Amino acid sequence: MQRDRLAELIDDRPGDGVFRVSRAIFDDAAVFELEMARIFEAGWVFLGLAAQAPAPHDFFTTTIGRVPVLVSRDGDGALVGLVNSCPHKGSRVAQTLQGNARLHVCPYHSWSFDSAGRNKAIKWKAAGCFAEGFQSDDHDLPRLPAFGEYRGFVFGSLSAAVPSLGDHLGEVTKLLDLVADQSAEGIELVPGRVTFTYDANWKLQLENCSDAYHFTSAHPSYIRILEQRQQSADAGVVKSIWEESDYWREDAKGVAGGSYSFDHGHVLNWGRFGITEALPLYESAAVLGARHGAAKRDWMFNMRNLTVFPNLQIAENASSQLRVIRPLAAGRTEMQTWCIAPKGESAAARRQRIRQYEDFFNPSGMATPDDTVSYENCQRGFASRVQPWLQGYARGMAASVAGGNVFSDGLGMTPARSVLADAQLCDETLYHSYYREWARRMMQVPA
Amino acid sequence: MSVLTRADAEDLLYREAHALDTGDWDAWLALYAPDALFWMPAWRDETTPTSDPESELSLIYYRGKRNLEDRVWRVRSGLSVASTPLPRVVHGVTNVQVLRADAASADVRASFTVHIFDRRSERSHVFFGRYSYRLQCDAEGWRIAAKTILLLNDTIPTVVDFYAV
Repeated sequence: MQRDRLAELIDDRPGDGVFRVSRAIFDDAAVFELEMARIFEAGWVFLGLAAQAPAPHDFFTTTIGRVPVLVSRDGDGALVGLVNSCPHKGSRVAQTLQGNARLHVCPYHSWSFDSAGRNKAIKWKAAGCFAEGFQSDDHDLPRLPAFGEYRGFVFGSLSAAVPSLGDHLGEVTKLLDLVADQSAEGIELVPGRVTFTYDANWKLQLENCSDAYHFTSAHPSYIRILEQRQQSADAGVVKSIWEESDYWREDAKGVAGGSYSFDHGHVLNWGRFGITEALPLYESAAVLGARHGAAKRDWMFNMRNLTVFPNLQIAENASSQLRVIRPLAAGRTEMQTWCIAPKGESAAARRQRIRQYEDFFNPSGMATPDDTVSYENCQRGFASRVQPWLQGYARGMAASVAGGNVFSDGLGMTPARSVLADAQLCDETLYHSYYREWARRMMQVPA
Repeated sequence: MSVLTRADAEDLLYREAHALDTGDWDAWLALYAPDALFWMPAWRDETTPTSDPESELSLIYYRGKRNLEDRVWRVRSGLSVASTPLPRVVHGVTNVQVLRADAASADVRASFTVHIFDRRSERSHVFFGRYSYRLQCDAEGWRIAAKTILLLNDTIPTVVDFYAV
């Protein structure tokens, strides 16, 4: 795809107060191919939590773009990132989502590798009549060219030409700290992963997580059920945070939350919940306040939807969800989703977190299906080029300011831009961060 | 009441299937005891479903018919785009076996396939798996005290709701 053609897909003219996105970025197969090559397969991608492989020889598998990846803890306890493809004939070596293996044996021709990816045996090597060149080849599983961890969040890259992980994450580390610090023991994934697909572009999920505007429009059935439950004396109904909070209600007054945009495409939108027993973290409020100070503790209790570009989202609102976005085609996406939780929380808090999660986040719940079906409706509509520019990136443009505000100051965090919002502002400028990074990466020819 | 027979169990399961297929939600709800358990586990990995809803994630977990009434209210409300219009479904319930039965309660298992056609998305799909029921006999006759739905193909194409499993 030509550079000038790409430049035509994002109309970013801050001086003129214009930011528009072409429908083509969502449904053009050539754009998708380039996204795989230049965004997913040439930059940092979230792989999983270190807690998914806690003990020596534990492993889990995932993908970077289209490439199968094996994350393994070696015998010394170090986490390694490997391309999960046998050097011999290319077969995936590890076959399962997770497990424990001192030795990974390729099921096709039995080449074997230790938990650090080192080749341990080539079947019948001595009898193989190999030429000399083969003897000097590297037969290990290839290490990911870049691999790193921040507080248990594990990232990898298929290209070595990336900034350090610390530079890539930047100020967003402070938002990951808000997750990691909810327990002195760290965080874990609640057993039970939920996978779903939808027939629409991956960037619709990227945007929806940051979209405060859709909540009362897409989820009225869920909101009404919560209202009915609030009035119910039945202790058996599933209670939710939304009944206990009103920041999102149309008639809420004052600063209700807002958004932060960061370099490299990361964004947060947030709202004020307050310290309420409707949140499972409530039992730890005093301890967290003493350990981290009131400002950071209060942030842990805020509604927070964080995207670490391009594929990690942590939504702490109705419950706490970790999502990994896996694009399959321009019009098809797979979502891997988990309930993420502080280790060591009480059984009652864990139960409350899980019940709230199921009702809101699951594709079998009462909210997410109304999002994903809307993505599919958008994908159909994107076919139009009669009016190629979408108008969904304009709310908040007159409210967006450079740097942070009093709330980010409380965390010692300096975002690139910020918006303070009442209930009805529903900033859309945070998407600009996605698409500025998108455009920068798409126009950069990988080394 | 007498001990539940396989014919009794089949009759109840087929009535439930028909109520879901035809959107006869009141008839569907009437099959459940007030404190009924309705549970669809998630999967830990390729081979192991979650087994402890208190500490592991489920796809759906409700104790109390009141929660099923909420789900019915939602699909009736016209306020859920995912539920409007509803896809067409047909449940095939097979391999019904009574594992244990007395005059007051019975354990029943069965297999299911649910064919779904969503006209709006022009998409057809089949969900399949196994049911486990605890049935109980009260003044209303045999009703569902607990239903566990083990969904075997759990990569969900966009939506799975109570009427599609």
